[in-house]
Amino acid sequence: MIKALRYFIEIIRGSFITGRHFASNFFFRCLKVLGIKTKRKGAETIQYPEQRKEIASRHRSLHRLMTRPDGKPRCVACMLCVTVCPSECIYVEAAEDPDPEIQKYPAKFIIDLSRCCFCGFCVEACPEDAIRMDTGNVELAEYSQDDMIYDLDKLIR
Amino acid sequence: MQEKANEMIKIFIDKEPVEAEQGTTVLKAAERAGIHIPHLCYHPAFPPEGSCRMCLVEIEGFPKLELACSTVVKDEMKISAKSERVVKARKAVLEFLLAEHPLDCPICDKAGDCKLQDYYDEYGLFESQFKEAKEKREKKLKIGKSLILDQERCVLCTRCVRFLKEVTTTQDLGVFHRGVHSSVNIYEGAAVENNYSGNLAEICPVGAITDEDFRFKTRSWFLKEGESICPLCSRGCNILIEYHPGFPRFEVPKRVYRIKARENPEVNDFWVCDRGRYGYSYLDEHRADKIIMNKIEGENVLTWENISEYLGEKIKRLSSAKKTSGIALILHTWLSNEELFLLHKIFKDDLKVEKIFFADLPQGEADGYLLTSETSPNRRGAQEIGFDIKPVDLDALASGTDFLLAFGPFLSGLFSPKDLKAALNTVKRKVLFSSYTHELNSLFDIVLPVALIAEKEGSLTNVEGKVQGFQPALEPPGESLPEWKVLSDLGKELGIDSKFYSELPSPEAILIEMGKKIPFFKKKND
Amino acid sequence: MTETLYETLIIFIKIVCALVWLLACTLYLTWLERKESALIQDRVGANRASIFGIRIIGLFQPFADAIKMIFKEDFVPSFSRKFLHTMAPFISFFFVAITITAIPFGDTLRIGNRTIHLQILDFNVGLLFILAMLSLGIYGIIISGWASNNKYALIGGMRGAAQVISYEVALGLSLIGLIMVYPSLRLSSIVLYQGELLFGFLPKWGIFLQPLGFVVFLLAALAETKRAPFDLPEGESEIIGFFTEYSGLKWGLFMMVDFMEVIIVSTLLTTLFFGGWQVPWLASDGFHFPWGGELLLSHVVVVLLQVAAFNIKVFFFCWLQILIRWTYPRFRYDQLMDFGWKLLVPLSLVNIIGTGIIMTL
Repeated sequence: MIKALRYFIEIIRGSFITGRHFASNFFFRCLKVLGIKTKRKGAETIQYPEQRKEIASRHRSLHRLMTRPDGKPRCVACMLCVTVCPSECIYVEAAEDPDPEIQKYPAKFIIDLSRCCFCGFCVEACPEDAIRMDTGNVELAEYSQDDMIYDLDKLIR
Repeated sequence: MQEKANEMIKIFIDKEPVEAEQGTTVLKAAERAGIHIPHLCYHPAFPPEGSCRMCLVEIEGFPKLELACSTVVKDEMKISAKSERVVKARKAVLEFLLAEHPLDCPICDKAGDCKLQDYYDEYGLFESQFKEAKEKREKKLKIGKSLILDQERCVLCTRCVRFLKEVTTTQDLGVFHRGVHSSVNIYEGAAVENNYSGNLAEICPVGAITDEDFRFKTRSWFLKEGESICPLCSRGCNILIEYHPGFPRFEVPKRVYRIKARENPEVNDFWVCDRGRYGYSYLDEHRADKIIMNKIEGENVLTWENISEYLGEKIKRLSSAKKTSGIALILHTWLSNEELFLLHKIFKDDLKVEKIFFADLPQGEADGYLLTSETSPNRRGAQEIGFDIKPVDLDALASGTDFLLAFGPFLSGLFSPKDLKAALNTVKRKVLFSSYTHELNSLFDIVLPVALIAEKEGSLTNVEGKVQGFQPALEPPGESLPEWKVLSDLGKELGIDSKFYSELPSPEAILIEMGKKIPFFKKKND
Repeated sequence: MTETLYETLIIFIKIVCALVWLLACTLYLTWLERKESALIQDRVGANRASIFGIRIIGLFQPFADAIKMIFKEDFVPSFSRKFLHTMAPFISFFFVAITITAIPFGDTLRIGNRTIHLQILDFNVGLLFILAMLSLGIYGIIISGWASNNKYALIGGMRGAAQVISYEVALGLSLIGLIMVYPSLRLSSIVLYQGELLFGFLPKWGIFLQPLGFVVFLLAALAETKRAPFDLPEGESEIIGFFTEYSGLKWGLFMMVDFMEVIIVSTLLTTLFFGGWQVPWLASDGFHFPWGGELLLSHVVVVLLQVAAFNIKVFFFCWLQILIRWTYPRFRYDQLMDFGWKLLVPLSLVNIIGTGIIMTL
């Protein structure tokens, strides 16, 4: 019985906690709406589309393929990213470059973003620093799955 | 080639007692005992060269480190292959080898198979101490019909030079210049032009010689390999088929990327000819994967389950009417011993069919070493089984044939389409077993997709009469099945000697049965 | 003849006003729920619905919701019983909406020589009427569960039935004490009784006379609204609920019924335990403070004050119910049943006996 009573006290305490949050947020929000500036502010979340949190420098966002100074992709189609990719979402087809110092370049480089898990292994595996995930683009929604398949044109930037 | 077993002596490698043949080298003895001693220039096909210095080992009583590849074993020799001194020496050798190596593994086709890479992983893992720029050399030098030489990657093991000296005796390559400038090259105006040049890319321990056929197509670690026998001539070279299982997500199918030689001192040693090496497109291109039903009676839908019933019924109808002369057979010698044996048993022994023809590709030219003039792998086998190898006679075929069983796609290469069509139109029912989608298929009522030699189990008899068994290296495409399955089912279905066929669940069992009937296969089978 | 016409017209206006009031409250209760829950959880809450870029803290949100619901496909599954499936939300809606007829919004309003009761129908059994209608509302839920021909919906419907029947008992019993204290079932009389003073200064509100009855009634009424922590029939996290197979406006009706129940419960709590439209010490001619002061007011101001008091009280209870809904986790089903039958029913019986003893003393 005593135990049950303790529960009831805790239940009422719980409503005081939520009530306190409501009251303080309500008070400061009202002040804000009325245009009164206070030192303390009510708790607020980031208002996403207008306000954006700065993406951390280590954040893994949409991939990009780096280029050489002359605009050719830096990728040499070694396929280490293909090898390491756990979701098997990268497909690379190599081709012969006439320059004997380059020799190999990607004729096709496709990332299926609908499968990509953004683990960043491809970036770590790349021996040429040709792929990076630092575009800061995290809004990758598309209307069709086909649009999620990114090829060279979309990846080089 | 079997050498007489020499006297065995006892040596110690890393304090483990090991049996070794008298007169063998330390490296061979260690290899025999399952201890791998790193080496680049040594190749079992050639005498030791000792140019790479990777195989240094410490031998008790010798003041310096010795080369395992050229030191002959002595009784009670104490060798350490992993001591600190040895490892240090290997590291030093590697550092010198890598001093001039361009380290362009990302674009090197050898990456994954490369011995230098493996040894660096095992013994090296150091930072280079060299500040000097690396020597610039020719990176893309075409030295033969499909070979590209990268002199920067070369470690001067001279395996290629020795191969061309000792195996093909053409001596197309040599080492030019001296010291740091030494490099392998072709002689002026002459390229490597022989039927075994593909082996150079295979024996090169690094990526100096690469094959244009395989160049940049894929990476070697994606490839899966399967053991098989080359069916492109009657030598029966042992091969490894390397294939990529495909990227199903991107609709890139399974594909064979290269053929490598498989060591067999009795047939092909370590080599395979260029015809066999580069002629792998037949494994992937235009493959049939579905049963084609151009013309069948009734509402039947043929599947592998009811196909033997269907064929059996047609044959039984003819044989019960004593009209087996209306049955004709067109075979080829890409069929395995077992399949030919079953065909012989069903049609020659049981049904007494007369009209049995062989449609094979015309003979080619032999090169005097491995490649034979015969273009199909099992002609000898067909002869030993008792077939009389008759070429196809269209006139004989066209007269009074009710039922034709044809095998293989080769028929179209032998006759003009017009003649073929005319002859086949006179035949009432015709069934083709073929692995390919071919215009020939439209001339037959039913076309059954069958597996190739690389995809099935069986045995072949090579030109020297050696019977070699093989296992499937690849998955047959789509619905394809090996012929022996269909034939043993058909044998059961015909009911003439059904007990015989019901005890043949596998090619292995068929071969044993063959040994009982035909002495030739008996003695090879032991 | 004209008298009857006026009477009819007045009744009609009263009905329209009451329904508009109820629906407007329902509409903005959704907004209140969103905003309040957001504030409790340190968020901002719905604020994006805008008309020509004007947002006003999300006040247009209910309209956006309504428009969305109207234009959603009204999907009737092929395996459902079509007629019953369509009927169910309307049944629910009807029985909840009709209870508003018995709620007194204020005292009488005098216009000229005409006296208008600020209540649609002054039943002599108003309290029973409301309880009966609230119980009948459960038919909508059972029928929707059955007609959907879907396991989850059926489970939801059966749970709803069991729950509402169980808590109906406690709900009814908790009011017996109240009826003993204010000897009437007529809601307007009950409110009038609460205008009297206890010990000369304390209003005779139900909360002071029947504190235990109030607690039991509050808990049982919360269970009647089928919202968390008593949301077993809906059980969004497990069975989705009796409206699994509903979409569009029909689903919206079920949602509206939920909110309307909250409002009805609030009005009942106000009417029965917090003096309805009564303002402490306010008589029909103005304030008469117990310490002797007086503040005389005109009739219209008094009526407005009363109606405002009623609305503020209702608003407070809506707020309280939302606070409870966003504070407590759900019951397990056996706990729910235990709570109803083993705690609330005995407590309400204790309340009846206690009230009886005190009254005889």
